[in-house]
Formats: sequence, C-alpha cells, structure tokens
Amino acid sequence: MQVYTTDTTSTHSARIKVGIADYAFGTDGNTLTTSGLGSCIGVALYDAEAGVSGLAHAMLPEADPDGDPAKFADTGIEALLAEMRDAGADTSRIIAKLAGGSAMFDFDSSDGGKSIGERNVEAARKTLEKHDIDIVAEDVGGSHGRSLELDGKTGDLRVRSAKTGDQTL
Amino acid sequence: MNLDVRSLRTFSRLAHSGAEKAAGSLTTLAGIDTYVNVTKVELGTKTDVEQEFAERDLVSVHIGFSGGLDGRTVLAFSPESAERLVDALMPGMDGAETGSELATSSLKEVANIMLGGFIDGWADYLDTTVDITTPTYVDDDSNSPLENLESDGFEHESDNEHILVFRNQLEAADDAIEFDLYMVPSPDSIKTITDASGQHGALPVQSFAAFSDMIADGADQASADITAMTGIDTTVEVSRMSFVPIEGVPMSLTDSVRRGVVLEFFGTPSGYIAILFDEPSADNIASSLLPGMEGDEAMRQSAIQEIGNIVTSGFLDGWANTLGTTIDISPPKHVHDIGSAIVDPLATELAQSQEYAFLIDSTIRTDDDEFTCDIYALPNEEELRKALEQLSPAV
Repeated sequence: MQVYTTDTTSTHSARIKVGIADYAFGTDGNTLTTSGLGSCIGVALYDAEAGVSGLAHAMLPEADPDGDPAKFADTGIEALLAEMRDAGADTSRIIAKLAGGSAMFDFDSSDGGKSIGERNVEAARKTLEKHDIDIVAEDVGGSHGRSLELDGKTGDLRVRSAKTGDQTL
Repeated sequence: MNLDVRSLRTFSRLAHSGAEKAAGSLTTLAGIDTYVNVTKVELGTKTDVEQEFAERDLVSVHIGFSGGLDGRTVLAFSPESAERLVDALMPGMDGAETGSELATSSLKEVANIMLGGFIDGWADYLDTTVDITTPTYVDDDSNSPLENLESDGFEHESDNEHILVFRNQLEAADDAIEFDLYMVPSPDSIKTITDASGQHGALPVQSFAAFSDMIADGADQASADITAMTGIDTTVEVSRMSFVPIEGVPMSLTDSVRRGVVLEFFGTPSGYIAILFDEPSADNIASSLLPGMEGDEAMRQSAIQEIGNIVTSGFLDGWANTLGTTIDISPPKHVHDIGSAIVDPLATELAQSQEYAFLIDSTIRTDDDEFTCDIYALPNEEELRKALEQLSPAV
C-alpha cells in the first residue's frame, strides 16, 4: 500500500510551483517557480522545439536507495528527464541551466571537505554530462540564497537574490 | 498514550497523502490548482490551537468523524482567503460576502468534499469505516472554536492536556488563497493508529509534553531577555514542536528577506538554531541597542549578533537544566537573505542522516506586531530521542 504520493506534475496552470525535494515540468509555456535555494541545487531543463520545460529542486547530491528520488540531484534529474521525454522532449535537444548550491555557513559539525552545495553542483553536472546535456548558463556557489523562475516560453531562468540582485540566465 | 518516531512518520505520511487527496478534490471541483505546502504533526493543547485561531482571525468549517476513528477535522481560512475562495467558486455572484449564507454554504460544500477525501485515506489505511457529520461553520468571532470537542470522543481532564494536531498548509490559485486543514484525533484514536503502525521504543506522550513545556519556558525567557535588553515590550505568540518531513522545514518559511543569526548547538541534543527578524524589526533592534546613532552596516550586524546571543542563551539555558546536560553554542553567524534559503542549509545538514525533523518554532512579538522575532530550532532526531528519554516519567 502506498500512503505517500506526491503529485509533482500539473500542466494546466500557467504557474507551477516546485517545492523542495520536488520537480515538475510544463508543456504550455508555463512558468515554473521554486524558492528557498541555499545549498540546494536548482536544475532548469528546456527543449525549445518540443516546448517542454522542467525544473528540479534537489537537497542532496546522491541518492539514498530508500529515499524519495526528487530529493537528490542525480535521481531528481533522471526522473525529470524521463517525464519530459514522455511529454515529447528529446534529450539531444534539451539544454540545462543551473542555479544554487551555495555554501552559506561554515558549520563546525560538517567535517571539512566540500560543502553540500558544491557536492550538489558536481552531482548535477555529472548527471547532465551522462546524458550529453549542455549547461548553457549557471549561477552557482557563493554564500547567498536564491529563488528561481523558469519561463517555459523562452527558457529564460530568472534568478532572484537578496544580495546580488536579480539576473536572467 | 505513547508515541514513537516510526508512528509519527506514518501519521505524517497519512496526513500528507490525505491532504493531497483533499487538494485534488478542490482542483477537480473548482478548477483551482491547489497544492499541499507543508504537513506538520504538532503536539499542543486545545488552548494553543484556539489561541491561534483567535490571533489569526480564522473562519473555519468543522466536520466530526466517528466509527473506526473519532475526532474532528477543520478547514480554516483567513477571512480574505475565504472571500477569494468563494469568489473563485462563484465568480461574479453578489451576496457572497464572508459570513453571508451563500458564502457559508459554499465553504461548507468545499469542506465536505475536501475533509471527506482526507478522512477516507485514514479509514483505508486502518481498514475501517468512518462516518462524518454535517459541516458546521464557525466564524472568526468565536471565542472557543474547538468547543464541544468532547462530543468527538475526547475525554479531557483539562484544556491544557496535550493533543496531537495534524496541520496541512495548502495554497491555491497562485498563492492567493491559503488555508489550513487540521485533524484532531481523539486520544483513543491516536492509540488505534499507533498500534496499527507498530510500536518500537515508543515514549510516553508526557515526555513530548514535558519537552514542549521546556520549549515554552525557553521562549518566555528569551522574550523577557529581549525586553530587558531593548526596552521593547515583547510576548511569546507561539511556541511549539512539530514533526515534519525534512524538506518541509525550509518550506515553512516564505521567501521574504530576513535578517538574523544562525548558530549550532552541541550536547544532548545538538542541532541548529536560526533567529530571524523581518527587516523593520531588525532596524528596531539596531536602533534600540545603538540609540541616537545612525550605525553603519558593521555596527548593525554586531547589534543583531548580540541580540542573537541573548535570545539563544535565554532559549537554550533552561534546556540544559531540565535535561541535566550541558549544551554549548557556537558563535552566531550574521545572515541577511531570503528566509527559506537561510533555513535550507540547516535542514540539508540534517537531511544527510534523517528524513524527518522535529521543528521547534517560537514567535516573539509586540502586541502591535511592529516587532517580531522567529526562533527556529532543529535538533538532531536521534539525540532528541535520547533527551526525551531523560524526560520520561520514572517507571
């Protein structure tokens, strides 16, 4: 019996909100939004020809076999790609934009080494590379938070930051 | 009544999937896209819940349920959200102001469909049947929105007895409509659900209640310390502990910009704390600590850090005493960023080892709302469990 269902895909609204540990796609030029990216990574995918856009918001780099796939950068991207392909997108045409993965705090409890933010960016790059998907723009790292808005009509990714202002990738 | 982390997870999943069903019913019924934002399992008292209804001026529709499970579900809205929902259901209809018969009956209809769907999920899980009552509308003037809870299977000795409250925050129509779906099962029903999920090292609910009281004392102390230091007369508005999926922690905050401090604490339990002010409140703090001085950014930051230190020790010192342990705190780090993004890295650190979190949140504010300070504490789950064991009544 399944008691936990997350209906991540809703394509009939003009704006689709993507939660944390979540992904969604749109086929009608929808705007996909997500907020609260600190060390989390946001991955925007876009196939202009098919008019399919997708956005994933992952918390951690690599999947834990028991975890929800949407929570991790590797499985989250894979799951989003699969749904976008089912909706008519072609991996060879998809381009990617990355935002997030910052290191906001240097915690004493984290045992040195790379921050979760950096590891999230690496995992996203690796997964996209596996599918030969080009990362055409990115705004990653730093020590500030971000909110994202992906315009499904143009593929523009608007990145809002309280520190560095707004920019469009 | 005993509780363990495993049954809390079951509760959380059931509540979330029930809320998804309820949101789906509204989407289908009215064509209004509805999302479940966060599902929380909260331990509070009837008085806490009623106080929240009163402070937020909530209007609500109540449906009781009985049979395999007893209790009450409530759909609660701000008057503005209720009005927008009625408007979305009956566009352009006159006479649909909040409180009118037409508005009330359409809210009841929505509640009937959403709450019915919500309860069905629980009944399915427990393989039982549950009957629901006809909906009752309770307006925002009501002094005791949870009155007659006794008729739903509660045998309470007092209003301060702890109850489990399942709260789902929902959003519809591009965030224009926000509402909460509550479920308050009777104590007997909690036992029924706990038994169904199997008990593994369950702790008596009194331990959770004792922890919850300790948090409330900490918030009172922090509020008194803010008042003593700044001369701003503050009180504690809410102070509670909830059990949430880890990703629900940052999602509990909005993306408005906050200023404050973040720090770590070490001991039993260890964890993270964020103390956040909205920008006007942060300005108030800075000017009350640096009277008559314009204050450059560096001075403002140090004022915020200083108050962060004060609030943290006020909030945490009592914990160490109650738990018979020492809790050390790291120096506070100043933050000025999107609220949900500030808390995201704290939740993410814990997400490496736990899927759910005990989220402690307290709000300290002035009566006129001109100053608010939110404290979010995220203890490590495993260590919190140890701390709760300390609080278990002797057998």
